[in-house]
Amino acid sequence: MSTVLRTLRNLRRIGLKDFGHQMQNIGDTKAGTLIGVDRFGNKYYENMEEELPLRTRWVDYKVNWPEFQPDQIEPGWHAWISYMVDTPPTVDKLLQPGQRTWEIPEHRPNPTFSRAAFKTYSTTRPKLSAWTPVAAPR
Amino acid sequence: MSTSSVKSATALERQSSNGQGLTASGKVRKEVPLPSQEKKEGAMQYVLTTLDQVTNWARQSSLWPMTFGLACCAVEMMHLSTPRYDQDRLGIIFRASPRQSDVMIVAGTLTNKMAPALRQVYDQMPDPRWVISMGSCANGGGYYHYSYSVVRGCDRIVPVDVYVPGCPPTSEALMYGIFQLQKKMRHTRITRMWYRR
Repeated sequence: MSTVLRTLRNLRRIGLKDFGHQMQNIGDTKAGTLIGVDRFGNKYYENMEEELPLRTRWVDYKVNWPEFQPDQIEPGWHAWISYMVDTPPTVDKLLQPGQRTWEIPEHRPNPTFSRAAFKTYSTTRPKLSAWTPVAAPR
Repeated sequence: MSTSSVKSATALERQSSNGQGLTASGKVRKEVPLPSQEKKEGAMQYVLTTLDQVTNWARQSSLWPMTFGLACCAVEMMHLSTPRYDQDRLGIIFRASPRQSDVMIVAGTLTNKMAPALRQVYDQMPDPRWVISMGSCANGGGYYHYSYSVVRGCDRIVPVDVYVPGCPPTSEALMYGIFQLQKKMRHTRITRMWYRR
């Protein structure tokens, strides 16, 4: 719940351009320090002093409203933004992407409802064989 | 640290004799554009796209679920409405009447005894309607798959749009499932499909 005073105060701090961007995307104004940018292009902010608990960390998605999805957040940043860890992936080496050989080079969001979506398929030979029915002439 | 490398999916793709790619079942692969990838043609398409966007915006931002809480999944569904996840900010208000709701969240084990009631409630909902299957039991029977009295998935009774896995799924998982349903609504072509006919 935002108040008019808070909105105007944050407008003064972040400027008109960011104000419009934030109102369009998150519907609120927030001012904080930029913690980092992930490989996907999302920006992560933090303000531990003024914001309410559990609202101190937030993300500015690369994709605009309404197409942004929480699966666009990278795993390490997801841990940070969900308060599972204290330090962001820019500081914590274990959370950084690209450290392990089996990792894919870029971040892939959930492909549901796209061409890359999973489809079930069977690799076993069918146990039943179908036939094409033929109607006998009368 | 594992040393295995990433293998691309194209290595598995078979080739026919004339160089075309084959599907897993041996047919020639055909690339058809998705509905979301099709380009707009003419002024009418632009008008209809805007109409669709307005309708879809209205649909996705006031999602009234019919709660079909059957088991422990319903507790997680209740958590979605409590202040931590706060579904009201997304325009989601639980309705007790199927005639006022547009999405049914099937949360929990669907037994044979409950199945006719579920179908009746679904039939009472007005169009457009969607169904979210929440939890292993609703998805495919789950723990009670081999029970004598349990339906092996609520998709045997009603058509399901989104399956939320988990036993039970967290409230976050259910919320993510709702986001996926909203994504599906956003990409629905209502008047454009009507115009195409």
